[in-house]
Amino acid sequence: MAELNASVHPVGFRQVGKKNLGIVWSDGHNAFYGVRKLRLACRCAGCVEEWTNRPILDEKTVPEEVHPKRMETVGRYAIRFDWSDGHTTGIYTFDNLRKLCECPQCRTASA
Amino acid sequence: MFFRKSEEIKSDDVLNALRHVIDPDLNRDIVSLGFVKKLETLDGEVKVTIELTTPACPVKEQLKEQAEQLIAKVAGVKKVEVTMTAQVRHNSPQSPQGNRIQLPNVKNLIAVASGKGGVGKSTVTVNLAVALAETGARVGLLDADIYGPSIPLMMGTRKERVFQDGEKLIPIEKYGIKMMSMGYAVEEGKPVIWRGPMVHGALTQFLSQTQWGELDYLLVDMPPGTGDAQLTMSQTAPVSGAVIVTTPQEVSLIDARKGLAMFQSVKIPILGIVENMSGFICGHCEEVTQIFSQGGGQKLADEANVDFLGALPLDPRVAVAGDEGMPVVLKNPDCEVAKRYKTMAGKLASLISVQAHGPVKNFQPLEMSWQS
Repeated sequence: MAELNASVHPVGFRQVGKKNLGIVWSDGHNAFYGVRKLRLACRCAGCVEEWTNRPILDEKTVPEEVHPKRMETVGRYAIRFDWSDGHTTGIYTFDNLRKLCECPQCRTASA
Repeated sequence: MFFRKSEEIKSDDVLNALRHVIDPDLNRDIVSLGFVKKLETLDGEVKVTIELTTPACPVKEQLKEQAEQLIAKVAGVKKVEVTMTAQVRHNSPQSPQGNRIQLPNVKNLIAVASGKGGVGKSTVTVNLAVALAETGARVGLLDADIYGPSIPLMMGTRKERVFQDGEKLIPIEKYGIKMMSMGYAVEEGKPVIWRGPMVHGALTQFLSQTQWGELDYLLVDMPPGTGDAQLTMSQTAPVSGAVIVTTPQEVSLIDARKGLAMFQSVKIPILGIVENMSGFICGHCEEVTQIFSQGGGQKLADEANVDFLGALPLDPRVAVAGDEGMPVVLKNPDCEVAKRYKTMAGKLASLISVQAHGPVKNFQPLEMSWQS
């Protein structure tokens, strides 16, 4: 997938029930995410080994009902999540978030 | 059918005439851009005020002349008076709250960076700052090099010490520029031996607690590299864009590429590339001798598809001026390098204005709390 155009950024967050999150992007894309899957996709140094990329996070330690308590943009390039399981160090870049989108259109494209 | 008195001027005619004045940077006419702020007609005389997006606009005089000539042709006009003013657009994303630094009175926060040290980044920053200030813009200068601050020396303020007023830090002011630097906080000659998180803390404090007042441009002299200071700036500060300084040689370009890539990865717009030490200029005959290779800055700009802001030759007077605490733009305003700095400042201001009209301006920080 090509790098996201520098000016594409989120323009809105939307909670969908208790388990899903919607992000509307400036290019009009309506992205959709399961929040637990998003928590498991954390790329921070506490969740993924920095040098080897080996996963450190054990899925079983993450509660089924995990959800973001709060989320905010970081600079012009990422979103930081404050998770209900106490994890706060993950920064999700816009590029990565677009790759993680689970909307039907993106799922078909990546399949 | 009524006959108009011959001296009666229609405002619409004047406006229609002004529609032919095109801002070359924004590629639109000054009427639809909303630059015409005041239009008075009385007894054959027209008074117009045109407000540009920066006082440093390089084509200010041309636009004024064009407007005067076009209005003069309008029926009934005997006398024309065109006044040029400027209002710099707000172009730094402000946030509602959170961990971010808020600078509501700073219209443009510009990071001046390089990959490699010793390319003359601080020299370029102070000279751009004074060149911008000379056009009438309100300019601030933040020295983000916590370990090796050079702004106090270059701006002739080595003896100044920062004054704290409660939570607020009072900036040092010279040559019309408000400044803050670690050099004003520690004893001269004493090293700052700090770990990364303290650099973050100091920079955050300088940015957010300094009483900057209203500024059109706040230039940040970044330390070399892609470390703590760069992360603090890109994650917590409302940066409008970055300027990358390099020298022509490949060894500097390699690092400049990294600096550029870093800003690109955190989506901070690159305003342009400056090539410093681009040849040597003789102090007597003003001839430029290429002692290193040349064209590296342009090459880097082409590669990254960003603007090239210009090349600055080495001139011994630049270093002397810096050591004496008066930037060359002020000390030798008529020398070739000073002229190039002024042109560069104009170009930079134009690019910032263009960007403030572009897609990036719409970026607004977001946040949300989850409802359980």
